Amino acid sequence: MKWKLILPLTLLLALGLTMQASAHGARIEYTISIAVEIRATYDTGEPMGGGQVTVYAPDDPTPWLEGVCDEDGRFVFTPDPSKPGTWDIQVRQAGHGDMVHIPIGDDMAISGGSGYTPLQIVLMGACVVWGFVGTAFFFSRRLALSLPKGRA
Amino acid sequence: MEAMKAAQPAGSRVFRTFPFTHRKAREIDFKEKKMNKLPITLMILALLASVTLVGCGGTAEKGTLQFNANGEDFVRQGFVSKDGWAITFDHVYITLADITAYQSDPPYDPHSGGEVQSQVRVGLDEAHTVDLAEGGEDAPPILVGEVKDAPAGHYNAISWKMARASSGPASGYALVVVGSAEKGGQTVNFTIKIDQEYTYTCGEYVGDERKGMLQKDGTADLEMTFHFDHIFGDADTPMDDALNVSALGCEPFAGAAEGGTLDADLAGLQVKLSARDYQMLVDILPTLGHAGEGHCHSEVY
Repeated sequence: MKWKLILPLTLLLALGLTMQASAHGARIEYTISIAVEIRATYDTGEPMGGGQVTVYAPDDPTPWLEGVCDEDGRFVFTPDPSKPGTWDIQVRQAGHGDMVHIPIGDDMAISGGSGYTPLQIVLMGACVVWGFVGTAFFFSRRLALSLPKGRA
Repeated sequence: MEAMKAAQPAGSRVFRTFPFTHRKAREIDFKEKKMNKLPITLMILALLASVTLVGCGGTAEKGTLQFNANGEDFVRQGFVSKDGWAITFDHVYITLADITAYQSDPPYDPHSGGEVQSQVRVGLDEAHTVDLAEGGEDAPPILVGEVKDAPAGHYNAISWKMARASSGPASGYALVVVGSAEKGGQTVNFTIKIDQEYTYTCGEYVGDERKGMLQKDGTADLEMTFHFDHIFGDADTPMDDALNVSALGCEPFAGAAEGGTLDADLAGLQVKLSARDYQMLVDILPTLGHAGEGHCHSEVY
């Protein structure tokens, strides 16, 4: 008997959802993202209006985005947050050009690509050594303490 | 025994206070010695592991990094100066020394100047004199040299010294520009010799492509670019452009020529040019060096 009730109710619910989807409603979703705005000028301070912009994602030789500065030399883009690190933005016009480097993401991600220096590796090695030695001393002491008691 | 036990400081080994035979004592001493060797063995093993790690760091991925010098189409094809002289170049000898590429972190900012912060840097030994006008109009940039075992990574900064040559056609000079200029039926053959030395420190290459990204077993290149339109100006660029405003042009050199020829070094130019024009030239020379279109920090050496 219960199924006789459940089935119509389910059908009604499904129809209801369908009606809701076809209605003239509106829906707004939002996400918060970081936008980067640059302004390119010549050394004289004159804006590089119409300057060619090339955006490079971290460690990528191919352009991630290309565009053009507005009349005031401005250009806005939203970097991909899944690619943390240093983003490089190049602006060129009539033989003049410059590049700016913008760190995006947390510090670990920014510095993660540079690898470890020899000094850091030696220090890490020393820490590993000390860890082994300390652990060994700890267990040797416990064994030494427990041996006579076991034999007593 | 109780007295001995009482005399033991807290935390010290107390098992010796128990009565036991000499045999047992020997057994325990033997085991104690055996245990004492354990940390030493572990320490040696760990040390070996660390050395191996460091060793692995030393055999990082490597590739070939090439260093090019480029006088651009201005030198290869000639151009018209801002004051209407059609200039062609026979030779542009430039001597480059202390050429160094950096994986700079943070990326080097030539506007701020200062030292390049870098853990990885590679460079060429000795000084190299090249002719930027070598080859035809469509010749590629001049290969100055290469480093075949450069660590992989992004070389985003470069520095070099424009140094006086010790031998060859440009001996005694850092830069020798040989060419001719023509305007309205008048021709001036010029040889301009610069003995002043400069250092140039530049950030990442700015241009049509991204340079300096070296991958394992791959080849990447960096470019030392020289903008001679900074001296002569460019008729194809608006006259009110900063390039032309700060350029000397060709007219002062033509005016300094005698019998259609100008052959002078900086000292000679100081005499032949007006004080204003000479100062302009002195101010322009540090701006010759670029990384593509990217400006460099320059200092008189």
